[in-house]
Amino acid sequence: MRYALSSLCLATLLCTGAQALAQQPIKIATDATFPPFEYIDAQGQLAGYDVELAQAVCEAAELDCELIAAAWDGMIPGLMSRKYDALISQLTVTEERRRSMAFTEVYSRPVFRFVGRDGSEYDFVEGDLAGATIAVQTGTPMDAFVSRHFPRSTIKRYDSSSAAYLELVSGRADLVMSYEAQITYGFLSDRGREGFTLMGPRYTGQDAPEFGEGVAIAVNKRNDALREKLDQGLAKLRETGAIEALDAKYLGGE
Amino acid sequence: MNWDIILDSAGLYLSGLRLTLGLTLASLLFSFLLAVPLALAKWSGGAVTRAIISGYTLLFRGTPLLIQLFLIYFGLAQFELLRESWLWPWLSSPLVCVLLAFVLNSAAYSTEIFAAGLAHLPRGEIEAARAFGMSAWVRTRRIYLPAMLTRSLPLYGNEAVMLMHATSLASTVTLMEITGVARNLTLNYYIQFEPYVTAGLLYLILTLSLVGLLHWAERRWAGYLVQR
Repeated sequence: MRYALSSLCLATLLCTGAQALAQQPIKIATDATFPPFEYIDAQGQLAGYDVELAQAVCEAAELDCELIAAAWDGMIPGLMSRKYDALISQLTVTEERRRSMAFTEVYSRPVFRFVGRDGSEYDFVEGDLAGATIAVQTGTPMDAFVSRHFPRSTIKRYDSSSAAYLELVSGRADLVMSYEAQITYGFLSDRGREGFTLMGPRYTGQDAPEFGEGVAIAVNKRNDALREKLDQGLAKLRETGAIEALDAKYLGGE
Repeated sequence: MNWDIILDSAGLYLSGLRLTLGLTLASLLFSFLLAVPLALAKWSGGAVTRAIISGYTLLFRGTPLLIQLFLIYFGLAQFELLRESWLWPWLSSPLVCVLLAFVLNSAAYSTEIFAAGLAHLPRGEIEAARAFGMSAWVRTRRIYLPAMLTRSLPLYGNEAVMLMHATSLASTVTLMEITGVARNLTLNYYIQFEPYVTAGLLYLILTLSLVGLLHWAERRWAGYLVQR
């Protein structure tokens, strides 16, 4: 009897140990300074397009996920050092990034635009924009694009996209480059932004390689199993129309 | 390991080093020029003067430098009135904002350090100077200033090193000093270890040079204070 009891205890111990391992949630990081895609809402909770998408993908793939608000500068290195298992933060897939991490299938194809003060005019022909001050978030496709195509402008780089907008509002920057949807629904939609407007051409991945193939979830290169599961989740959402529903909710059904 | 990226970026680090050095020296110079008269005024002035100076040092020593920098750089930019004033061409420059924050912060600490140095001046020295018939100006120049500076040299040296380390905050407002260069590399190449280790080594070299200089100054001018 005693033997049976102790072996039962041992079995439960082992079981709970294995369960704890299995229940280690998937850590998904996001840079919550990019409304409406990822931001911290008034209740202090993570919210936005990518946040809802991540939750839906995890549910569809039957994964236990935990979303973490991370700083932009530590996010990609954190994925590579396995602090995070995946990143969902409107990350564009580029040749260069593919060398450091793996991506799921693309789930959206963003358009990139400039935003500036109403009434100001700029010549967006390649090599020009001389004298203009452009604010961008460091290490983004927009940073790579303006660095390469507008070397005669002054480029100011910030750790977060919100800081770039602050500089536009204060007048220290003439233009901000970002995702068109992000400018429209994350900046222009706010109060007191009547004096600003979208400017210049609508750029996509076809116009410049810096803009990448589209937006996807990033996974550690050695974690193929997780990438496949997330892809299955994304495929299910595509079938059920959940991604279109998200587009309609956040991006006016574009 | 990706040390080749660091080697390729040697030029960036060099310009970062120059900016860090420039920020440190400029902030030290201006804060020194501000702190010396403030310390003398706090020590010799009336109750109102003392209260005003104490209020200033309390404000700048009681809040984090990063908050002060953000208030000056981002906070002030919020006011339309200021953005349309003659001050804006100055305040719109990150360099001016950074220097303003560093100088005001460091001057607050230096003022207290210098004032403490004066407080430890033996009464006998002051009485002797008076007995010689020295005017207030001569007393300040020949007795108070040398006594204040030599006595506070060790503490002031700490403040100088702290200020040099604090210049790393300038990268938060787009200035590419050593830390800014390292951050930029982490964001573009997704490596964290090599850029920050390199930045740390550069700061270490700067710190050791500064400490060596301060030790030399201490031996040269404050040697008489050593108990034999």
